[in-house]
Amino acid sequence: MNKKQFQNILIWTSAILLIILIMTPGLWVVLTAFRPQVDVMAKPPVWIPRNLSFNQFETMLFGGSEGSMGRSPVPVLSYLYNSVVISFTSTFVAVLVGTIGGYGFARHNFKFKNGYFLMIMLTRTIPGISLSLPIFILFSRIGIIDTHFGIIVVFVALNIPFTVWLTDGFFRQIPRAMSEVAMTDGCTKLQAFWHIELPLSKSGIASAGIFAFLISWNEYALVSNLARSTDSKTLTVGLMDFTAQFTINWPGMCALAVFIIIPALLLTFLVQKHLVSGLTFGGVKG
Amino acid sequence: MAQVELKNLSKKYGKVTAVQNMDLIIPHNQFLVLVGPSGCGKSTTLRMIAGLEEITGGEIFINDERVNDKDPKDRNVSMVFQNYALYPHMSVEENLGFSLKIAKVKSEEIEKRVNEAVSILGLEDLRSRKPSQLSGGQRQRVAMGRAIVRRPDAFLFDEPLSNLDAKLRTQMRTEIKKLHQKLKTTIIYVTHDQVEAMTLADRIIIMKDGYIEQIGSPIEVFSKPTNVFVATFIGSPPMNIFSAEIINSNNNIKIKLDDNLYFDCTEDQKNKLQNKKNIFLGIRAEDIMPVENNINTSFWSFKRNVDIVEPLGTETQLFITINDKEIISRMYNPYAVNVGDELTFQVDPSKVHFFDKETEKAII
Repeated sequence: MNKKQFQNILIWTSAILLIILIMTPGLWVVLTAFRPQVDVMAKPPVWIPRNLSFNQFETMLFGGSEGSMGRSPVPVLSYLYNSVVISFTSTFVAVLVGTIGGYGFARHNFKFKNGYFLMIMLTRTIPGISLSLPIFILFSRIGIIDTHFGIIVVFVALNIPFTVWLTDGFFRQIPRAMSEVAMTDGCTKLQAFWHIELPLSKSGIASAGIFAFLISWNEYALVSNLARSTDSKTLTVGLMDFTAQFTINWPGMCALAVFIIIPALLLTFLVQKHLVSGLTFGGVKG
Repeated sequence: MAQVELKNLSKKYGKVTAVQNMDLIIPHNQFLVLVGPSGCGKSTTLRMIAGLEEITGGEIFINDERVNDKDPKDRNVSMVFQNYALYPHMSVEENLGFSLKIAKVKSEEIEKRVNEAVSILGLEDLRSRKPSQLSGGQRQRVAMGRAIVRRPDAFLFDEPLSNLDAKLRTQMRTEIKKLHQKLKTTIIYVTHDQVEAMTLADRIIIMKDGYIEQIGSPIEVFSKPTNVFVATFIGSPPMNIFSAEIINSNNNIKIKLDDNLYFDCTEDQKNKLQNKKNIFLGIRAEDIMPVENNINTSFWSFKRNVDIVEPLGTETQLFITINDKEIISRMYNPYAVNVGDELTFQVDPSKVHFFDKETEKAII
């Protein structure tokens, strides 16, 4: 065995070990979701599941079949509805506003430009949770506590800085000559943006969208304060519904966790090719 | 077909003046080349004509219509950029047809015009390729094709060849010239390369620091430069410039280059120079010729040792020193010359240029 082969084996082994390390908690969540409570709580732990079932999912989504744990105590479908509405709307708004902002920063010069940019970025340095109390008081005063609108506003504010930063970088990569040639080709400024600059930066915008969506979809701390009822509670906050005073329904909670993971995973797979940039290569001098 | 007219055009960036009071009429079908060192305002002028740069002062007319406040899209000019700026997400065909699609031209017409451009530029096999799959020369051709399909009133070229290697540049230069003959359209072409300017232009404008230094045909600017800058900018190698003194004694005017080198003025030159004291003398390398024995007595002649010999095949450049200044002489029909050889050089007085030492303007 030569040095190169040895190196390869080393790299692969460490990569696989690392993946196992990262995947294990997730895998445990998935396994727990399909196992009966007895198995989950057993001491010593049962490593290899003895029987698997969809009971938890049935109970969660359809209120359970005869002989199971009875009607689901957790209104998962309402939570799903809230999560979908809040995540998609806030992502859409954040990407829309953030992209326009990023374009502005990348293409236009105005007074205090760097100051503004720094200011927007600095908002990211404040931990979101530290704002939960002021936001709670403010929102309850103006009456948007426990509403979709309130949570969307928070998520949009949370996501815009990152979107601005990311898209600014992508727009900067596109040579100015690209939109200039489009304008001498008969485009208005807006058409040049729409036909040329936007398609060229779509990988950046898609990445920004994915990040914004994942942040909104997975956020727990802030929403757990702002959402009080089924009117606005999201899936992540709904996880806590599985805790009772003395017990925790681990399989139920894990089933919901799996339910939360799937859409995020699917979406990431769908857009992942856009996450790889480098689309502008070749348009200008090579 | 279009006449482009600039009236008192100027451009300022803050306190910096990029273009200063430029007046110019470019008639139909003229191939005009703006040439000058970087930062002379040539590209800015072009971009103002295209509408990509705000105009600080003055007016631009295309076909007698004032276009100052018109968007680039409404000026019906096409621009070819230095870095080509092809749309990377579109195929060659889509790149070519884009402007027509935006103008909502019918698809049959688009296809017809794209086919036309493709055959003019020999892009048949590349129609479905993306820009990243093309070589530099091919990209350049697509960029020109994109300009052609619009059938613009005028083509604007912004240093289109400077990203190509030397061989390809020569080749594309010829193609651009052919294209102009075929399309018969006004072309305004910006370059910093005087060879490109000389070979392509019907008319050359030499610019420096935002001002026009000279306008004329390639032969005019070469043979009758109006000042020292033009004289040294046009032509390769640059014109030799000597600092000289006029010695006027008893109606016999001599030009003193250094203590041992005096030239007698011809009758014609006497009139020009009798009131001058200090001047610049300009002589092109090809007008300082080494001679073996057939010395022409009406020519100026002097002896010098050769410092450097640079054979170029059809010619040889000889470097000599006059008054501590390095001078280039160009020798055709080369024979063997060694470094250190003493040769006799001759200058035809009628080929000599005189410039005022203060204004650096030609003395006519």
